[in-house]
Amino acid sequence: MKTKPIDYMAKKLLIVILLLMNVSFIFAQTKIVTGMVTDEFGAPLPGASVVIAGTQDGVASDANGKYSIEVSENDQLTFSFVGMVEQTVSIGSGNIYDVTLIESAVGIEDVVVIGYGTVRKKDLTGAVSVIDTDQIENRRSSDLAGSIKGLAAGVKVTSGGMAGGESSVIIRGIGNLTNNAPLYIVDGVPSNAGLTINMADIESIQILKDASSAAIYGSRAANGVIIVTTKQGHEGPLKVEYSGQVSYNWLPEHDLLSREEWVKFDDMAYDNAIEAGIATKRQSHFPYSTDWQEELFKPGMKHNHNISLSGGNKNGQYYVSYNKMYDEGTLYGMFYDRNSFRVNSSGKKGVFSYGQNLRFVDNSWDGYAGSPFAEVIAISPTIPVYDPNNHGGFGFGDPDSCNTYALNPIARQEIEGRAIRNTYLSGNVYGQIELLKLFTYKVNVGYTTNWGVTDILRKSGSWTMGQADDPSYLTKQINRFGGFLLENTLDFKKTFKNHKIEALAGITYQDERPEDLNSTKYDPLVVGEKYYMTLNSATGDAMSGGGYGESALLSYFGRVSYIYADKYILNFTVRRDGTSRLPIENRWGNFPSISGAWRISKEDFFNVQFISDLKIRANYGILGNSNIGYWDYIAVMNTAPRAVFGIPEHMDLGVIQSKLVNRNITWEKQIQTNIGLDIAFFENKFTMSAEYFISESRDLLVALPILATTGNNGGNPIVNAASLENKGLELDFHWREKVGDLSYGTSLNFSRIRNKVLDLGYGKTEHYTYLSKTEIGQPLGSFYLYKMLGIFDTDEEIQAHVNSEGIVIQPDAVPGDIKYDDYDDNGDISSTDRQIVGSPWPKFETGVSLFANWKGFDVNILGHGRFGQMIWNGSRATAGDFTQSQNNFVTLNPWTETNMDTDQPRLVFGDTRNSRGDQDRWLEDGSFFRISEIAFGYTVPETIIQKVKMDKLRLGISFNNLITFTNYKGLDPDFYDNGIFTISADNNAYPNTRSVMASLTIGF
Amino acid sequence: MKKIFIIFIIVAITACDPLDLLEIPNPNTYTTQDFWQSEEDIELGLVAVYNMFYKQGTWTRNIYTQMDGNADDGTSKAGWTELQEWAKFIYTNYDFFEVGIKIWSEHYKAIFRANQVLDHIDDIEFEDEDYKESIKGQLYFLRAFYYFYLEILWEDVPIVLHTSSADDVPQQMPADSVWAQIESDLILAVDRLPDQWNPEDLGRPTKGGALALLGKAYMQQHKWQEAKDALYWLVEGEGNVYYGLVDDYEENFTSLNEHNEESVFEIQFSQVNPTGFDVDFDPNSQLGTQIAINSSPKGLGWNNIQANRWLVDYYKREKTIDGKNDYRLFINFWYNDRQADFPDQTDFLIYGRTWTSDPTWSRQVFIRKYMTTTLEGTEAEFYWNDINFRLIRYSDVLLLYAEVLNELNGGPTPYAIECVNRVRTRANLPLLQNSTYYTDPAILTDQTAFLKHLQTERALELPCECVRWIDLKRWGLLMTQEGLDELTERDKDFKSFELGKSHRLPIPQSEVDNNPNLNQNEPY
Repeated sequence: MKTKPIDYMAKKLLIVILLLMNVSFIFAQTKIVTGMVTDEFGAPLPGASVVIAGTQDGVASDANGKYSIEVSENDQLTFSFVGMVEQTVSIGSGNIYDVTLIESAVGIEDVVVIGYGTVRKKDLTGAVSVIDTDQIENRRSSDLAGSIKGLAAGVKVTSGGMAGGESSVIIRGIGNLTNNAPLYIVDGVPSNAGLTINMADIESIQILKDASSAAIYGSRAANGVIIVTTKQGHEGPLKVEYSGQVSYNWLPEHDLLSREEWVKFDDMAYDNAIEAGIATKRQSHFPYSTDWQEELFKPGMKHNHNISLSGGNKNGQYYVSYNKMYDEGTLYGMFYDRNSFRVNSSGKKGVFSYGQNLRFVDNSWDGYAGSPFAEVIAISPTIPVYDPNNHGGFGFGDPDSCNTYALNPIARQEIEGRAIRNTYLSGNVYGQIELLKLFTYKVNVGYTTNWGVTDILRKSGSWTMGQADDPSYLTKQINRFGGFLLENTLDFKKTFKNHKIEALAGITYQDERPEDLNSTKYDPLVVGEKYYMTLNSATGDAMSGGGYGESALLSYFGRVSYIYADKYILNFTVRRDGTSRLPIENRWGNFPSISGAWRISKEDFFNVQFISDLKIRANYGILGNSNIGYWDYIAVMNTAPRAVFGIPEHMDLGVIQSKLVNRNITWEKQIQTNIGLDIAFFENKFTMSAEYFISESRDLLVALPILATTGNNGGNPIVNAASLENKGLELDFHWREKVGDLSYGTSLNFSRIRNKVLDLGYGKTEHYTYLSKTEIGQPLGSFYLYKMLGIFDTDEEIQAHVNSEGIVIQPDAVPGDIKYDDYDDNGDISSTDRQIVGSPWPKFETGVSLFANWKGFDVNILGHGRFGQMIWNGSRATAGDFTQSQNNFVTLNPWTETNMDTDQPRLVFGDTRNSRGDQDRWLEDGSFFRISEIAFGYTVPETIIQKVKMDKLRLGISFNNLITFTNYKGLDPDFYDNGIFTISADNNAYPNTRSVMASLTIGF
Repeated sequence: MKKIFIIFIIVAITACDPLDLLEIPNPNTYTTQDFWQSEEDIELGLVAVYNMFYKQGTWTRNIYTQMDGNADDGTSKAGWTELQEWAKFIYTNYDFFEVGIKIWSEHYKAIFRANQVLDHIDDIEFEDEDYKESIKGQLYFLRAFYYFYLEILWEDVPIVLHTSSADDVPQQMPADSVWAQIESDLILAVDRLPDQWNPEDLGRPTKGGALALLGKAYMQQHKWQEAKDALYWLVEGEGNVYYGLVDDYEENFTSLNEHNEESVFEIQFSQVNPTGFDVDFDPNSQLGTQIAINSSPKGLGWNNIQANRWLVDYYKREKTIDGKNDYRLFINFWYNDRQADFPDQTDFLIYGRTWTSDPTWSRQVFIRKYMTTTLEGTEAEFYWNDINFRLIRYSDVLLLYAEVLNELNGGPTPYAIECVNRVRTRANLPLLQNSTYYTDPAILTDQTAFLKHLQTERALELPCECVRWIDLKRWGLLMTQEGLDELTERDKDFKSFELGKSHRLPIPQSEVDNNPNLNQNEPY
């Protein structure tokens, strides 16, 4: 499919609007011609513009498609309508000119890429979000998912700012309990679309959100489908375009205590511990002062450069690009580096057409071992980064000076380095033949391969107190992935009179084969400070291991769509999938869907002037999922156990089953109903879509935790356990207008999703995690915690905190301790006192964008927010009131006998009762609204740049994530969250980076 | 490619998978169906049960902190606050992974393994039936062994006796049912285990080991006659030829004289895999123990567990027959007066340090037994060591036997006193009747006085060997205010002990929450 850039469409729209504004301006002419403008079905087109070519004089057709205009002979009339191919007619001697406008096959606004084909947007029967690629053109998040944040209703994107990190996308809520990542289809091939996609290559992104749109992808579509189409060359001379961005990125920081404050509070915590008999004396304190955030968080530059060459003629087009990205990262020792190439070409000869897409990505990065945002809180500011007295030369706790097992994050990174290099190649070739102008037969072959090498170097040394003196070693991990795809499709298209029929049938075969090898060798060669990174140079014992996986998917599918008079649209899709991941008895699943739409605005009785289009849609369908391990239904033996016997001792081999499996697993199914409404006002200036959906996931495949009494080890077995229901409402509004030289627009989306657990599997009615409880009939993962009622100020208050029988609930407490709610009224604080104290689910989510353009100057503002959810703030739980001599925040205001007016308990070392993680004290309102981007740009007028033979020159600057409205006290309320039973728990997640970015685009 | 097109034409017509494109075998390892076919498979399965000794939740790490820390011989000053709290009855998070979850789940993993082999062994023909029975004997012993410690720590636990399924929600059983299960497995083991193993099989349980554990199980239930019958074989019966006390008490705690005559059952540790951790799927996992680093003094090791001071005082109350301090004190502990108390000894360094090198050590008492002997003065070399843990020593059995006889006969019999004296003599102490410190004549005649005295003898012979907590439970000291007062006097950790609650651990909350057949131990 071919598409044209959005600005092309915008210009066209602009012309139409301009023309409509000038209808009253009529010259006296020699004659009046009249006629009717209709579409290919013969339906009248109201509001079509009829303009005398070469002038701005014109009229618009009326509600019945009729027009009347004064012209001179030999004039030409140009007829145009949004989404239609413009037509020019020479005026001869006649007075009546009826014109049929043909739908234009290009234009993103109008044509939506769906599975195995395209559809006019107005013919859509399902819920599809089309990402406005204009808006992401200069929003260069490293990965595709990050760049669509906030742009589509019902699509929740969370990400962290780690260099080389990928975002999480959840479409229409949590639909299953294992993996909610959507299916990515890149140029027709299911493939990785994370960091391996160069954002500059993207032509269009569509998100298929409901069953009828996604059903053609059957078993893999339950989480929604994101279809990505990359750029193709266009007919014409060679075009060269460079675009580049340079940004400066930094991390938000906690306000942690200084050394002096820390020492004061640590002494206070020890004094209380001494009183309680836990400690005997205060710590002696190291004489150092370390700002761990300053040591670890390093602002960094990120460079992203793209160059593309494109062009072609009638018979063939090409697009070639190269991308270089280098991200210094924002943490000590991290970086991400990427080189990628793309070659796309397509052509046509007679009834044959063909095409090819290829991308090659080579990237490398240094990973971070550990949890940096917890580590900077857990470690005391008195501990030095370096300490030559310690093995390995780094500072860490000491029983006398600072009795903590906190790990030194700098030491950890230095001692255990991890470097990853990954090479990814993905491509497809297709050929198609048109038969009898009715059928198109297409063969598409795709192949994806990935090679990864990870080097892990464990140097000699320690990063925490009491650590083993592990010998140094070098590990190489090598993994390879190969995936093959073969698709055969036969397409049928026929239009006659008011009927338009399209049908599609296809078969696909897809397989994947990952394998990996790892080898570890002790005692790598060290000369001075330099470690040699080859296994050959290491001199110690070697160990190695590796494994293999394989799966295949075979599918048959078909789709029939029927459109009558542009008014009634009916679609039927079915897919039958077989997967090797399920046992033979349950291997096949059928996934049908049916959908319909009614364009009311096309009815004769519909006569509302300001509504230019009105359509209602409804659909119902079943999707499937078998996104589990390769052989999860086959129980295997563990050959690793060993034991020693005898004198002299010898080691014997053991073999046993460690991991349990469920043999009878079957397809997970998702049944979806979607009702939608599309409406356009004021000649399409204002459009609105509304969707309401209900989806029910049944027999969810989930690694549901099982009891430890089973003796299971190695991960929980997959079972068809739970059922979930999601209901949601999505609203999208768009406004676009041009006033004089100013064009502006805004779009706004809202979504509200409610989920409910219908069944939990294994006959369970409840499921608990450390922080949450999930009950049948309730949403997933409600916060289930001990509730803090206040702080005891006096012994009398402790004695007065009794249950209904008068039993003192916390007799061991002392003033300054937390008063917990004895929820079960049994006179004791115990596990049955946990209670539901909050919901992790937002009441609604929203995304907003604004743009304006005036004489080459443009401004773009993007924002998104979620409202009403609670967040468990792990950073505060990590700080934990000095129980283990952690650091804390400058807001620390502990209870003391002279400071009772506080909601924070006393500090006491070695007693976790006040600082337990599973209490509601750490819950906070997580609502936020973030202005994620403010971008300014200037496009130099063509009249100037054409003098230097340039087509395009744009300069821009943007500010990202600088403004966030929230009461949340952690680093970032918009953190990466892919939790399922525990949702909205911020376990010191990597926050989004703040950045300032400059960009430049040059086209020749 | 051509082949694939043909395939497609065929499959297109049938809309299924006639060519088995989707039938992909797992090439990585055996499936459970492939396994359990031969004698060798059973042997491999058995080794995998032994492998469970080498886990942090069994005998490489935390069970020492928990069992000694709860008892009055040990206390925890661990830098890891939760670990310390658990050792003194403060259980805030019942799902504390390091202790509660690890010990619980790894015991059940061991049971799962034993159950698998037991479920399959009868389907396999063995050339030598006796050999097959000896394997079954080991499996019954091992299963009983893990239930024994589950029972000691939690009491009312679920019983699982066959290969598990993922959807199992096993029924919690009252303590007497758990004991009955332990007894029945051990009886089966006793009949099948040999008196002794060949040198290459040392480390496997013997008949004597099974009888000793069975005796302990009976004693916990105060089934004194059955206990005597079980222990008789080791002490008075034909089995006693295999057992005795080593001359040098220290040989019980080093790698130099393992599987000696005093060792009734010991867990074999090794340094054959020098690195790694106790990862279940790693063939190079550690087979050593962390007992030394776990207990070594702060600044040297983790100091997760140390001894209470009263033990030092108790040792010093009674002198040996040559007027010296009890050598067992020297072997068991490091403490401030050690050099003065043992002037004719030479080794006073603590991993190369002097006592005064750390002023905060002060009056603390650190556990010296099982210290790493290969250490050469450095502090970081003892993360893992290979000293076999003597889980049941013959001196333990002798003192138990004395206790049983005392209970059965309403007072100490001469043989009961002789058993105690064998232990005292090895320690170079005078016979009990000649003791200049324990002079109360009732000790030699009165049931209660003798038992009280045994409680001291056991503390001094077996301190910090994961025995004391079992003893305290048997003696009922944990169930009365009087007992609690006595314990609190010796160990202030008992201040946070609650009668009727703290004598057993809270069951991991995740297990209680997710198993409808399992209730939390009241009143947790």
